[in-house]
Amino acid sequence: MTNDRVFWRSLEAKAQPEQARERATGSDVVKQSIDAPGLIRLRRRQFLSLSGAISALVGIGCSIRRPVEKIMPYTEMPADVTVGVPSHYASVLTRRGEALGVVVQSSEGRPTKVEGNPEHPGSAGGTDLQAQAALLDLYDSERARTPTLQGAPRTYAEVDAVLAELAGQLAASGGAGLRVLSEPSLSPTFVRLRAALAAKLPNAVFHTYAPVSDSNERAGTQLAFGRPLLVQHRLAGAQVIVALDSDFLMTETGSVEAARGFANGRHMDSAAGKQPNRLYAVEPTLSVTGSNADHRLSLPAQSIAAYAKALAAALVGQGISLGALDSELGRPELAGVASPWTLAVARDLAEHRGASLVIAGSRQPAAVHALAHAMNSALGNVGRTVVYVTPVDAEEPLHFPDIASLARDMAAGKVQTLLVLGGNPVLDAPADVQFKEALAKVPLSLCLSGWRHETGELCTWHVPQAHALESWGDQVSRIGAYSVQQPLISPLFKGRSDTSLLAALLAPAASAVSERDPYLLVKATAAMHGADDERRWQRLLQRGVGPRNVSQITLGGLSLQTAAIQSALRALPEAAQLGLDSLEVVFLADNKLLDGRHANNAWLQELPDPITRITWDNAALIAPSTAQALGVASGDMLRLTSSDARSIEIVAWVQPGQAPGSIGLPLGWGRKRGGKHALGAGFDVYPLRTSGAPHFTAGVKLAKLGTRYPLSQTQEHDVMEGRPIALDATLDAYREHPNFGQRGSPDPSPPPLWKTQDYSQGPQWGMAIDLNRCVGCSACVIACQSENNIPVVGKDQVARGRAMAWLRIDRYYVGDDADQPEVAFQPVSCQHCEQAPCENVCPVNATSHSPEGLNDIAYNRCIGTRYCMNNCPYKVRRFNFLNNNLDIPETQKMVHNPDVTLRFRGVVEKCTYCVQRIQSSKIAAKREGRELKDGDVVTACQQACPAEAITFGDIRDATSAVSRAREVDRNYALLAEVGTRPRTRFLGKVRNPNPEMVG
Amino acid sequence: MSAVHPIGGPIAGPIAEIGETRLLPAHLTPALVSEQVTSVTERPARWGWWLYFGISLLFLGVLAVSVSYLFWEGIGVWGNNSPIAWAWDITNFVWWIGIGHAGTLISAILFLFRQRWRTSINRFAEAMTIFAVICALLFPLIHVGRPWHIYYTLPLPNQMGMWPNFKSPLLWDVFAVGTYFTVSLLFWYVGLIPDLATARDRARSLFRKRVYGFAALGWRGSHRHWRHYERAYLILAGLSTPLVLSVHSVVSFDFATSVIPGWHSTIFPPYFVAGAVFSGFAMVMTLMLIARQVFGLKDMMTLQHLELMNKIMLVTGSLVGFAYATEFFVAMYSGNEYERYAFTNRATGPYWWAYWIMLSCNVLSPQLFWFKRWRTSLPVMFVVSILINIGMWFERFVIIVTSLHRDYLPSSWGYFRPTLVDVGCFLGSLGLFFTLFALFIRWVPQIAMFEVKAILPGAQPNQHRHRVERHEPGHHAPPALASREA
Repeated sequence: MTNDRVFWRSLEAKAQPEQARERATGSDVVKQSIDAPGLIRLRRRQFLSLSGAISALVGIGCSIRRPVEKIMPYTEMPADVTVGVPSHYASVLTRRGEALGVVVQSSEGRPTKVEGNPEHPGSAGGTDLQAQAALLDLYDSERARTPTLQGAPRTYAEVDAVLAELAGQLAASGGAGLRVLSEPSLSPTFVRLRAALAAKLPNAVFHTYAPVSDSNERAGTQLAFGRPLLVQHRLAGAQVIVALDSDFLMTETGSVEAARGFANGRHMDSAAGKQPNRLYAVEPTLSVTGSNADHRLSLPAQSIAAYAKALAAALVGQGISLGALDSELGRPELAGVASPWTLAVARDLAEHRGASLVIAGSRQPAAVHALAHAMNSALGNVGRTVVYVTPVDAEEPLHFPDIASLARDMAAGKVQTLLVLGGNPVLDAPADVQFKEALAKVPLSLCLSGWRHETGELCTWHVPQAHALESWGDQVSRIGAYSVQQPLISPLFKGRSDTSLLAALLAPAASAVSERDPYLLVKATAAMHGADDERRWQRLLQRGVGPRNVSQITLGGLSLQTAAIQSALRALPEAAQLGLDSLEVVFLADNKLLDGRHANNAWLQELPDPITRITWDNAALIAPSTAQALGVASGDMLRLTSSDARSIEIVAWVQPGQAPGSIGLPLGWGRKRGGKHALGAGFDVYPLRTSGAPHFTAGVKLAKLGTRYPLSQTQEHDVMEGRPIALDATLDAYREHPNFGQRGSPDPSPPPLWKTQDYSQGPQWGMAIDLNRCVGCSACVIACQSENNIPVVGKDQVARGRAMAWLRIDRYYVGDDADQPEVAFQPVSCQHCEQAPCENVCPVNATSHSPEGLNDIAYNRCIGTRYCMNNCPYKVRRFNFLNNNLDIPETQKMVHNPDVTLRFRGVVEKCTYCVQRIQSSKIAAKREGRELKDGDVVTACQQACPAEAITFGDIRDATSAVSRAREVDRNYALLAEVGTRPRTRFLGKVRNPNPEMVG
Repeated sequence: MSAVHPIGGPIAGPIAEIGETRLLPAHLTPALVSEQVTSVTERPARWGWWLYFGISLLFLGVLAVSVSYLFWEGIGVWGNNSPIAWAWDITNFVWWIGIGHAGTLISAILFLFRQRWRTSINRFAEAMTIFAVICALLFPLIHVGRPWHIYYTLPLPNQMGMWPNFKSPLLWDVFAVGTYFTVSLLFWYVGLIPDLATARDRARSLFRKRVYGFAALGWRGSHRHWRHYERAYLILAGLSTPLVLSVHSVVSFDFATSVIPGWHSTIFPPYFVAGAVFSGFAMVMTLMLIARQVFGLKDMMTLQHLELMNKIMLVTGSLVGFAYATEFFVAMYSGNEYERYAFTNRATGPYWWAYWIMLSCNVLSPQLFWFKRWRTSLPVMFVVSILINIGMWFERFVIIVTSLHRDYLPSSWGYFRPTLVDVGCFLGSLGLFFTLFALFIRWVPQIAMFEVKAILPGAQPNQHRHRVERHEPGHHAPPALASREA
């Protein structure tokens, strides 16, 4: 960009019109147009009369008008708001037992984008997809708006009165008959208040329940070490990783940090560089983690324990003794599993003492966790690749026995008052505890939740819960980093937080405000975590994270309770015989909705599942061989009946990689309440889940209902057809041919047809995507959706092939065995081709190249011939087939990024390399009087990626990160042979199979 | 004047020795020609015409409803999707453009090659061309996402200095089809003038006199008029001839210049032109068979005409078949996996049925015309002409949809299913076509009377030296006929 603006109406222009015109033109398009001969010689009047006549002839009858909209300016400008300039606030979100530090962008007082906080250890700048989608939850117009008493709207004053009265009664009775059910908490303030309440009301009982949690992990550390600890993996240092039914890259706790560590351990800069890590995954269902494994074994969930024992036995055979446990382990072979899967894996682990890691997943029983801890100790991994941390809430009970005991007491009439602080037990409590029926016997119940969902509807009182972006709170991350959750907006529907409800019971209305106001309560907690003066408090708020509390971390010196582990191993049930009339079902934390809490989030609903690519539904995942034996095809409706005669109906999905005889059931779908997007999407599998076997159970019978159910996928073809698309190589092949990418997808460098654009000036934007780092989590897809105001089109339109995502993650299966496929992920968005096929074919010049190498679209110019879509070899262009921005609720309009236009129907759109971010960075640099530097521009997908797979920047600058990434020998251009010269380069994936297990 | 017939080449009778026969039966006289042709526009319409017109109007209504709904809701009411951004819309466009080819071919090229048998059918074919091009123009217009901005494709001066993209084949289309439509319309209209004058001269009501008189542009049949007319007609024929080749070549560039396997092919221009002539003749045949039956024009559209047209269909159909084979050969020979896949997928993929419909209709069915018995059988040629129309529609569908639905990245492969609105727009375009045609055969002399008169037995001065034709008013015939009297 030139800074010396020249106006063509100057004296200079008059004197030297040609030269002035030359200089005044911004882009080639304009230049081309202005240089068009003849027409420019029109006089002004001639021009006006000509264009008037033509438009009168042409424009007759075109009368589609834009709606009249009024805009309201500020009458008094708020001091800290500059219209058009967003501010950023550090905060923290919770996701499944881990705090995720975020930086939230606020535009004119409304949060518009969530990004990872680079300073926060749980995030390190990345996020997961739920964090990216949090904004849509915040602005969900179907969130509860007022408190209700038995369904009738009430005011907050009435709620306060009831709470005050309740507090008085409870204080008198010492809390008799009071039960408080909450979700596992990372908030020291909450834990502190709860402890204070417990001290004040000794007869009250506190319960904790979440349908998907780390309860088994705690039970495992309790078993192994005699006290509950959290397990923190340090994946970056692990050379050999064995995941025992653990989806640590996606649905397990701390997946953002895990993805970063895993990718760092896998990263390869050159053939001569370090050895990448090797991941073995043993799991019942194809997870994101299993998709990234170098070796993956499908085993029913109930056989994982036996595998763990066999692996431990094989380790003993390698001289890694587990002490007294050795005698308990049995033989190092497992029926039905190839022997290298224990022997070779054990050898690999043994060869990497101190740099290996065994991870047990949250579905597996405590004994398996304990055995994993024993193996890690024996391998010398503790303190290196795994550390143990004292949890914030040391008193958290085991969730399933706890909810069962609560329901028992409720049914027995022992509970007079029940507070449900978050969570949705009527939906997600195990079916056998009959929470719904028990709830009917509680005289006074109060539910705090964002939506009037299944539980909220049945409780006496329902109080809207404020979203995390609306309320004060705090969290301690797994490794003890304290963060404050700052509200960015006052509660849209005046919701309350769990701490404020606890405080209301704890402190009578007359007490000091510091005991009731969540802000002051959090500030008081922060003082205990080091922010004890105003300056430190401000610093904490700015950074979003306080210093780590290292004292909580245990690096070693824990003694294994071998006797307890021994008896737990002995008590493990034998794996039941699986057959076609006795199948196993595994309850899966859903990749998108987790336990169902995000069910009304349209972004997540429409996001294709990272593995199945299904949108707007879940399905029973069945192995191809099992499906064939049962005569089941994808889309068939099934009835699954458990051995205790509970049954559900669900659609079948034949899923490569699913363990034969085992059926995967993603939780959280088929909601009956909780918003229009949640309703009717998928099938509820909770009715099959019992407190005795909440994670997997055998003996399930399957019957076909004979009906079909339509499923919408964004990708219907799973194989690459032998084409060089998502390229990979084994480590050996990579060492032999470091440039395997370009060998697979050679660039013919055809001579250009016409004079090509000059790319020698200014920044030239480019991207590199490292397939070796990408884990396929899809956080980038939601980040792109949030950043670029990408509309949601619904299940029907997705089925018609009209999903709008600018960035998609292609998932291919590789290999011949449908039951044990390898997986390749490839994020594909606009490749910003230097020789873009889409640009030539647009008849109206709506899409053209910017001087900085961006393939731009002028939405106002686009008439929607869709030729560009046809001619795009990458199929990344999206067309607004219908008006996708019609009927957006008022609250949801606030989610839109003000820097990005909403697109009307009839225009084509696609990835812009986040051109709005480029522009704002350029403006910022110009204002500061400096050149743009590497790292100034961070695209939304790049920012969100927990694995740092995406690099973006100026490729003209040889020292920029993206230039260096594009020079890595694995680089290749997708479909290079088409001659498009894309600006996005991929770095091929390197698989690191164990030579003993190949072939 | 020399003995060179202005429109029909050297005047000579059929050479019996080589098996030539008369083009027209001997009993036809200029008066009879005028009567037979013009009376259609003078008599009250028969019930058959009203039925045909009514049905056509009904389908035109379907078009109006479909297009209104389309404009109201957006392209989403069609089945188009990503990756199949073009489907029935562009299929219909190319199909109609192809049909629009026969008219110009018959009028211009056969004129220049002095094929006198064209005279009975050229008016008919030209009208068909114009109506087909109108139908074709409809689809690019309505297929865009924002039709109210369609004028962006025209090079209109504007204060933003924004011009269309001259690299885009779609823009070439705008010019090519626009030019073709303009020239075809002029050609047709210029050719109509003498016959409009005949209609004017025969008119009894003042209204008819005025309307036809206005349309006849003051034609009096003077030598000067004929001289100008012949120059103009020859020039227009010369202009039209390259257009026959260029329009469909340009339309084929929409596909050929892209990077999509199955589209990106140098064979497309001749292949498309052959296909266009093929489908155009088939459509002319279908319509002529109906018209000659309904209006009793068997004397002028003789079996010989039909047979000649069938021969052209046999040739062009075989050319198209050769193009199909060449495409496959090149795909296999190229070694390009995407290209190979595209063609294997056409024949065996999810749209195999469309491919085989295309192949059997276009390549197999015209092979019947090798045999004179079938070449001259009205039912056979009617069925075959319909089959060719269907087959050529499927050819465009196969090229557009099967190429798009599976291109480079398997992750993005898709499938297209038409919606009711797709069907409505297509049937509606047929309604538009037949409505225009109904109006044409009702109000315009549907056979070029003056040209037919010029090849009547009586028009051959050296053959019928002793027979003197009286030049009746209202019987406009070319000077070769008139000069003989002087």
